[in-house]
Amino acid sequence: MDVKRKAIFTLARVVAVLLLSTVLILLSGADPIRALQAFLSGIFGSAHGFTEVFVRATPLIFLGLGVAITFRTGFFNLGAEGQLYMGALASTAVVLLLPASWGSLRLPIALVSAFLAGGIWVLFPAWMKSRLGISETVNTIMFNYIAIMLVGICIRTFLQEPGSTLPQTAIIPEDCILPLLLYPTRFHAGTILSLVAAVLAWFFLCRTTTGFEMQMVGMNKRAALCTGLSVPKSLLLSAVIGGGLAGLAGFNEVFGVQHRLLEGVSGGNGYTAILVALLALNHPLRVVLMSVGLAALQVGAATMQRTLGIPNSIVSIIIGFIVLMILCGSLPEILEENHPILRKRKENIRHVE
Amino acid sequence: MHGIVKDFPGLRAVDHVDLQVEEGEIHALLGENGAGKTTLMNILYGLYRADEGQIFWKDEPVDVSCPSEAIRLGIGMVHQHFMLVRKMTALENILLGMRPEGYPIIRRQEQLQQADILCQKYGLKVNLRQRVDTLSVGEQQRVEILKALFRDAKVLVLDEPTSVLTPQETQEFFQILRVLRDEGHSIILIAHNLSEILSISDRVSVLRDGKKVCTIKTSSTNERELSRYMIGRDFLASNFYREATDQSREILRFQNISLHNSEGVSLLRDVCLCVHSGEILGIAGIDGNGQTELAEVLMGIRRQSGGDILLDGQSLGRWSVRRRWEAGLAYIPADRHQDGLIMDADVKDNTALRTYYQPPLSRTHILQPSQMRDQAAALTEDYQVKTPSVATQVRLLSGGNQQKLILARELQSKGNLLVACQPTRGLDIGAAEYLHTRLMDRRNQGRSVLLISTDLGEILALSDRIAVICSGKIMGVVPNTPDLSAELLGLMMGGSTLEEAKGWM
Repeated sequence: MDVKRKAIFTLARVVAVLLLSTVLILLSGADPIRALQAFLSGIFGSAHGFTEVFVRATPLIFLGLGVAITFRTGFFNLGAEGQLYMGALASTAVVLLLPASWGSLRLPIALVSAFLAGGIWVLFPAWMKSRLGISETVNTIMFNYIAIMLVGICIRTFLQEPGSTLPQTAIIPEDCILPLLLYPTRFHAGTILSLVAAVLAWFFLCRTTTGFEMQMVGMNKRAALCTGLSVPKSLLLSAVIGGGLAGLAGFNEVFGVQHRLLEGVSGGNGYTAILVALLALNHPLRVVLMSVGLAALQVGAATMQRTLGIPNSIVSIIIGFIVLMILCGSLPEILEENHPILRKRKENIRHVE
Repeated sequence: MHGIVKDFPGLRAVDHVDLQVEEGEIHALLGENGAGKTTLMNILYGLYRADEGQIFWKDEPVDVSCPSEAIRLGIGMVHQHFMLVRKMTALENILLGMRPEGYPIIRRQEQLQQADILCQKYGLKVNLRQRVDTLSVGEQQRVEILKALFRDAKVLVLDEPTSVLTPQETQEFFQILRVLRDEGHSIILIAHNLSEILSISDRVSVLRDGKKVCTIKTSSTNERELSRYMIGRDFLASNFYREATDQSREILRFQNISLHNSEGVSLLRDVCLCVHSGEILGIAGIDGNGQTELAEVLMGIRRQSGGDILLDGQSLGRWSVRRRWEAGLAYIPADRHQDGLIMDADVKDNTALRTYYQPPLSRTHILQPSQMRDQAAALTEDYQVKTPSVATQVRLLSGGNQQKLILARELQSKGNLLVACQPTRGLDIGAAEYLHTRLMDRRNQGRSVLLISTDLGEILALSDRIAVICSGKIMGVVPNTPDLSAELLGLMMGGSTLEEAKGWM
């Protein structure tokens, strides 16, 4: 019975999305059927489109994992954006400044430095939280601005492409970029790295003693303290790991997609990642699912825009509405709680005493 | 209420219960946890709907479908955990959700006067302009009662009101109840404590396993009879089997322990105490006199400002919480929801909290989930923790089962000393008795228990020796002999030293 009701509710949400999309597309003067075709063919119609989903999902996976791990520990890290920039900056600087004779060895060094840079960037807000009890939410956001401006300064000064007036670095040497997996698409090895990171993150969080500590600290710091767990250690460690993963997203964008560091390398993904983590209920493996799903929406929507001229804003509205529909997945339970007739069912579930 | 039935999955929580409350009486509702008292009252207040049965209000059948309907009829309820907005003043809390005269313009002065008149009439001392989070628990409770009275409640349902109060506050509270009764209000009192029920109520209804056992006049019964009705057998007051144990060895010694808070206020003053092997040392005192602080300093949760603690002759110095656990200190905290358990985590994770980092629960930092499950299953069975599975959230267990879960986790300690703070506060008699038996077993094995409790009955029933704490100072330590007078302890709890108290006796 419950499964049936759930199915009906899910179907209703899909129908609501389709209805709203249809209305909006009609308003913009396009044919909804053709729009849907364009949407689907954008995702599944070509190797380029299909791989593009993963190209876009990859930074979201790294960032989403970083955010999810810190959220699980009760550290509300909203600074993934800044950590991404610091990761991108550190890894680019390392590769461009190390002598060319180091060759491909520079790639793993860049990866490690991206992780460290992201991790160190969050260390200060994390220290203020665990030592002084200062809220991390505002601090981590403020650190985003600092990081973005710092990158802006660097790519206009010592990292600027020689002979260029544009605020960007030189192209990353050929032997240091992440290998393409499918020519001529943009599908690159960073995606594999992100999947490995997701599995590692899951194992770390759910199967190691340190991950167990982090989860317990995230649920009740006081009880964790009283039973002998180290709260500052868990907070700092999860912040560093989360920041490091976000830093890897910066590395991924520079070495897999852009092949140089420029302003706006994140595209706001650091904030989208918070949404990804929330939708995934902070579970590392679900982060992968949600990232791919969100990326698919973006890719399909971009094709609709390109082929039918459906304005970008409509696409944003639809994406926003879809997210809203996903988030209201718990609506039936909330309704039951507040509706006198439906409530009886809920009571039965709630009462185990 | 007539023939009320309420089913939960796999459980009939309330089974054909009739309950009749007269005008101007204090009607106590007695029963163990899970007997159906709170469920029954939630039905009356419109939070649950009865599956069968009918509620009558002044002989008229009524349909109480939601709390606002109950309030309209004149039924008020004060929950065990207060429903107050902590950042608002007492008056704002009272007015919250109402549309008093002049709405939407707030005539604060007038309403303050109205509320003040109520305060005067019933002797409810509250500063209405003060923010709720700065009020004491007793005052918060009075705000809750005022809230109901302000809405013209004729029947007040109070869910375990005394469980959060100190003995003195309880006496004041009872005085308020008597005034309310004399003004014609009816009071339904959900309670565990037999002596309190006997001293305050006019009639008692006893529930057991969802059924009503009886309704009797309080004046015609006694504790023994009530407890027999409630648990269906005789209450084993303090007839614990007390083995002769070797109490020669000193296990724990507090040496001049002192503690100040950040404002420099003394919370503990020069505490010197020792606990011997094979004994239960009870620490009696009125709530908030440094008991929790003493336990937390001992467990390493707080750092003492001065003095030292010796365990088996070894100084604990600045040892961490974990190192103290490994050295043999086990701890049942007073606040089990905040300090003892992770309510959102499941039974398995909570039982593993002390030992997850050691084999067999983990090997080289890798958790062994099957071992954790097996261990949790074994412990919950050993300690009679009733839970649907080890993957159930601890939040969903009853208070007694939560406490047994903490006991199960902490008694894994191979060490010699258990620190138990308020181990049975808010528990039903069955669970409390179980806890007491386990503590006594521990003692009879030759190990020690430091029992910190505000329940003097508990201290007297279990302890070998009793220390009394007042304002962070140990007023004296006396052996628990049959001729020990409660009055002597009472005087010490009130701040006299042992010598002074003896002099006055």
